Amino acid sequence: MRYSYYPGCSSEATAKANAHSIEGVAKALDVQLEEIPDWNCCGASVASGVVGDFTQLVVTARNLAIAETKGLDVVTGCSSCYMTLAVANKKFKQDEHFRAKANEALAAAGLNYNGTLQVRQFLDVIINDVGLDKVAQKVKKSLDGLTVAGYVGCQTVRALPFEFDDPEQPVFMDRLMEALGATAADFPMRARCCGSSSTIPARDIVLDLGYKIFESAVAGGAQVIVTPCPMCQLNLDAYQSLVNRKYGTNFNIPVLFFTQLMAVAFGLSLEDQAFKYSIVSPYEALVQYSK
Amino acid sequence: MVTPDKERAAEQAVPHSFKKKRGDNYFMEQKKIFSEPVKYDLTFAREIYRLENGSYIKQCMNCGLCTVSCATRDVMEYPPRQLFNLIKLGKKEEVLTSNTFWSCTSCCTCKARCPRGIPIIDVMHDLKKYAIEYGYTDYPQAAFYKAFWTEMSSRGKMFEGGMTARYFLTRGLDEIVKAMDMKDVGISMLKHGRMPLLPPKKIKGLGGLKKIISKAQELDRKEAAR
Ligand code: SF4
Ligand code: SF4
Repeated sequence: MRYSYYPGCSSEATAKANAHSIEGVAKALDVQLEEIPDWNCCGASVASGVVGDFTQLVVTARNLAIAETKGLDVVTGCSSCYMTLAVANKKFKQDEHFRAKANEALAAAGLNYNGTLQVRQFLDVIINDVGLDKVAQKVKKSLDGLTVAGYVGCQTVRALPFEFDDPEQPVFMDRLMEALGATAADFPMRARCCGSSSTIPARDIVLDLGYKIFESAVAGGAQVIVTPCPMCQLNLDAYQSLVNRKYGTNFNIPVLFFTQLMAVAFGLSLEDQAFKYSIVSPYEALVQYSK
Repeated sequence: MVTPDKERAAEQAVPHSFKKKRGDNYFMEQKKIFSEPVKYDLTFAREIYRLENGSYIKQCMNCGLCTVSCATRDVMEYPPRQLFNLIKLGKKEEVLTSNTFWSCTSCCTCKARCPRGIPIIDVMHDLKKYAIEYGYTDYPQAAFYKAFWTEMSSRGKMFEGGMTARYFLTRGLDEIVKAMDMKDVGISMLKHGRMPLLPPKKIKGLGGLKKIISKAQELDRKEAAR
C-alpha cells in the first residue's frame, strides 16, 4: 500500500508524537508513506477567515497538485489538515466552475490539479485499507485490562459527513482499540469539540469544553484518552492542569495519539511510542504494556 | 457585550402583528433593546448575501438546530440562528460587533446537522473576513487570525512561536498580563520538546505560493465585482 503523505505543520512542533508513531505504525503494517515534496501549510480552519475560502482552498490545493504528479492518494494524520485538504479535493471533483477558477490561480506557479486523488485520514486507511484483522494479528502485547476513551473530535468525521464513519457517534476508533485488546470506554463526548485554536485568544472556551470531555471520559472508566487530532491532543494534554485549576478538579488522564497506543500494542520502539512528548505522563497508566 | 437581556430579546424578536396583541408593555420591552423598532433594511443583508457563502443564509428556516448543536453557544452573544436572523433584519452593528463568528471553532457540528444543508462554518469564515475588512477587529480572535495568516503566507508553513509573538504585539501588554498563568503551559511544552524556538525552513516554492495567493485574490475580486 503506497500513499502520498501530508505531515502538516504540527508534525514538526506540537505533535511530534503523532509523526513518530504514524511512521512506526505505518512501517509495521507495510503502509508506505511518501512525503509530498515541498508541501505547504493548509491554513487549518483559520486562513479562510482572513482571505476567504477560495484563496485558502487554492493554497491547500497546491499540495494536491504536487501529489497528483505521482498519482498516489493523499494521507494525513491531522484532522484539520484532513478537513481542509478533503474539502478542497471534493470541490475540485464536484464543482466545475471552482475547478477552472482554482486552476487559473494554480497556473500562476505552473501547477494544475485535475481532482483525480482521494484524501484520507490515517485512521481511515488503517480501518478500511489495512483492516482490523491485520491490526489484531500484529498485536504482540495485548492492551487487555486497559480502558480507553476514543476521542475522535470534530473534523475527522464531520468535515465530510459519512465519508468514513458516523458523524455523531463514530465507532471506528472504539473498534480499533478493541482490536488492540483494550476496552472502549462508554464516552458520549467522543465527537464533541475541544475548542480548537481558541487557546490563545479565548482560553476559557477550551477549558470549559475540556472539562466536559474529561468528566465524560473518567465517568466511562477511561484510563487513557486517544485521539487522531493534533489540536485535540494539545488542548487536552497541555491545558489539563489549567482545567484542574479552574474547576478544582484533579484529572490526571494521559492523552495520546491512537497511533501511540498501536505502537505500544505492536511492541514497537520507545521512539515510536513517543511518550516523552506527553505533558500528562502516560508512563504510570501504561507501565505494564510499554516496554 | 453579552447581556442575558439582549440575548433574550433577540430570541423573542417576533413580527409586529404579534407584538401588538401582547399590549404596550411588551412592546416597550422590545424597544429598550433595539435602537429602533424592527425595520427591514436590506442593504446590509444584500451585502452579506454577496459574500462567498453568503447566499446560503437566505435558505435558513430558523429551525434552531445549529444553536442547540453549537459547541460554543454558551459564550456566543447570538447563536448562529439568531445571527442569521439579525442579518436578514439588516442589523449591521449588532452582527459585526457580536462575538458569534469569532467564537466559532469550526467544529462542523452545525454544518453536519443543518436540515437545509447550509455550510454554517463557511458563512462564519466569510463574516470574519468581512469584519476584518471593515475594521471590526476588537475581539482578540481577529488579531490571532491575522497573525496566523501573516505567519503562514510569509513562510509557507506555520510557526507557532512567530504567530504568538505577532498576536501579542498587536494585542499589547494587557493581553500578555492576562496570559501569564499560561506560562506553565509554555514551559512544559518547551520541556517536552514541543515548542521549537526556531521557525521551520521556508518552503522552496514560496515565490510560487505567493503568486498563487495574489492570483486567487485577484480572481475573487473580479468575481465579487460582477
Ligand atoms: S440549522 Fe440551518 S436552517 Fe436551522 S436555524 Fe441553523 S442555519 Fe438555519
Ligand atoms: S462550527 Fe461554529 S457555529 Fe457551528 S457548531 Fe461548531 S462552533 Fe458552533
